[in-house]
Amino acid sequence: MSINLQNEYGEVTISNDVISTIAGGTAVECYGIVGMASKKQLRDGIAEMLRKENIAKGIVVRQEENELHIDMYIIVSYGTKISEVALNVQNQVKYTLSKMLGLSVESVNIFIQGVQVTQKA
Amino acid sequence: MTIQKIDGTTFGQMILVSAEHLSNHREMIDSLNVFPVPDGDTGTNMNLTLTSGANEVEQVDHKHVGQIGEVLAKGLLMGARGNSGVILSQLFRGFSKAIRDKETLTTKNFAEALQAGVETAYKAVMKPVEGTILTVAKDAANAAVEKAEEVDDHIEFMEHVLTEAKASLQRTPELLPVLKEVGVVDSGGQGLVTVYEGFLSVLKGEALPTYANKVNVEQMINAEHHKMHQDFMNTEDIEFGYCTEFMIKLERDKEHPFKEEDFRNRLGNQGDSLLVVADDDLVKVHIHAEYPGEVLTYAQNYGSLVNVKIENMREQHTSIVGDAKKEEKVVMAEYAIVTVALGSGIKEMFESLGANVVIEGGQTMNPSTQDIANAIQKANAKRILVLPNNKNIVMAAEQAADLVEGEVAVVPTKSIPQGMSAMLAFHPDRSLEDNHKEMVAASEEVKTGQVTYAVRDTQIDGLEIAKGNFMGIADGKITSTSKNKLEAITQLLQGMIEEDEDEIVTILTGEDATDEEVSEIEQYMEEHFEDMEIEVHNGNQPIYSYIFAIE
Repeated sequence: MSINLQNEYGEVTISNDVISTIAGGTAVECYGIVGMASKKQLRDGIAEMLRKENIAKGIVVRQEENELHIDMYIIVSYGTKISEVALNVQNQVKYTLSKMLGLSVESVNIFIQGVQVTQKA
Repeated sequence: MTIQKIDGTTFGQMILVSAEHLSNHREMIDSLNVFPVPDGDTGTNMNLTLTSGANEVEQVDHKHVGQIGEVLAKGLLMGARGNSGVILSQLFRGFSKAIRDKETLTTKNFAEALQAGVETAYKAVMKPVEGTILTVAKDAANAAVEKAEEVDDHIEFMEHVLTEAKASLQRTPELLPVLKEVGVVDSGGQGLVTVYEGFLSVLKGEALPTYANKVNVEQMINAEHHKMHQDFMNTEDIEFGYCTEFMIKLERDKEHPFKEEDFRNRLGNQGDSLLVVADDDLVKVHIHAEYPGEVLTYAQNYGSLVNVKIENMREQHTSIVGDAKKEEKVVMAEYAIVTVALGSGIKEMFESLGANVVIEGGQTMNPSTQDIANAIQKANAKRILVLPNNKNIVMAAEQAADLVEGEVAVVPTKSIPQGMSAMLAFHPDRSLEDNHKEMVAASEEVKTGQVTYAVRDTQIDGLEIAKGNFMGIADGKITSTSKNKLEAITQLLQGMIEEDEDEIVTILTGEDATDEEVSEIEQYMEEHFEDMEIEVHNGNQPIYSYIFAIE
């Protein structure tokens, strides 16, 4: 799946991978996120296989008619205000995609898949 | 006056005052907000967060500083708003945990608590971005720990912490390019400095400094300016062509007394991106106008003009767009990776992982030293890493590395999976030595299984192998043989997979592999190793029906 943009010189095709990579890259820099959770059926190819930190895992880009929806599966840190962390991710992802690709995203859905507790001795 | 100990009452006071101080500087901090999203709400968010904490603190009357900390952390968590608010709540969560059992705080306690706050805050982010509030908090905490060794007096201590926090804040543009581009310091960091200022003022028993507004006018204007113009636009779309900046030295005896609001409204009709910052005797104005002369004439009603600067933005924009087009030159790349592979699928995979040159070759078709040397030259980079991916090619690769000029290092990968693993450990920002080290380490993490057939009768490693039989090879050693391909495969996998340690099997299918076989292998995996993840890629390699990478 990909997104096509038309301009005066021709066509620009942006694959969903690009969108999910940018969304993922933005997400990992967001405060409060300690990981992306990959859902099994979303496994993301060789990179993850070989344990490369793959920021696009746990991200699904869906295109419904002309609207773009992004689902993100994340793990947050214990002790943060989760609703706020999620809101920040939504804002940041939306902003970055519009800045880098000029894409307007209809919805960024956040699924909190886990909470990481780091207990200090 | 010196303060040796901070009790609950004082600490509570510090929180209340810093919340108020933050509230007073909210707008200034908002205006600096260009990262991560330039929505100009950092100050507001931090203020709401800290106010929520302060409200909780206000309702209790504890002398015990640990208890105040606990109440504060709870209030901050509940009221956390925005990115910076969440970070602030984390900083104080760690802080309050560290002081939980303390009645009063020495400078050492305080420093340790700041440090604990920073540790907690850093734990909650995967990839911390430096040049933000996190950096300022970290630098301040480090300074605090050092200073606490020397002094017992909280005033002297806090002064030092604040100075270092401010210094760190000034360094944020060096760490975060977007800040530098806009010419501002980090807004969250500024917020934290403001909090520390509140702390210090309580300790000193002095009124708060009114520093911020004046110092940062320049930055505010830059930030506002940036926000208006970050979007792409065409030169023709610029409606108001002149970026106009000037200051008015107010003269009291002028006919019209200066009223900021009237002034702003009047100029608002002349253009956009308007910014007016006024104090008693100076007004700084920034506006994008089509007729700057009219703006200046109007402004002169209030006093004399200084520091006038007018720029034609259409010209600027055209030249920016032009510059961007010029910058296409062929330059020597910083890094290149040269690798050897056989099979169109594998070749493609290496290319997609970032290999610059893929030499065709592998088992029974080894590239020569010259082939490799040519490939290295073709790669045209300052530093080059070579991945031979076969133990028979390692030597040739090392010779080739000696032959050519420049910095070349060979990562002695002995199989395709090792090569892929090494590729993934590559980082363009690292030195050649570091990359080499990391890539060697990564290549050793993966186990390689291969399945092929025997071309003649033989006996190796105690196994009788008949011509035409299938062999399973684990990391270069033949471990299974069978007339039946699938049996050879399952034996091989059984011998290689350690269920406690391995998680992933990547299968590269060869030229002669069939879909039925692949699904049989998948079925076998599901039955025997249900926790393992499997990924199948079309390698299209000759000779080896299957290559397995196991980690």
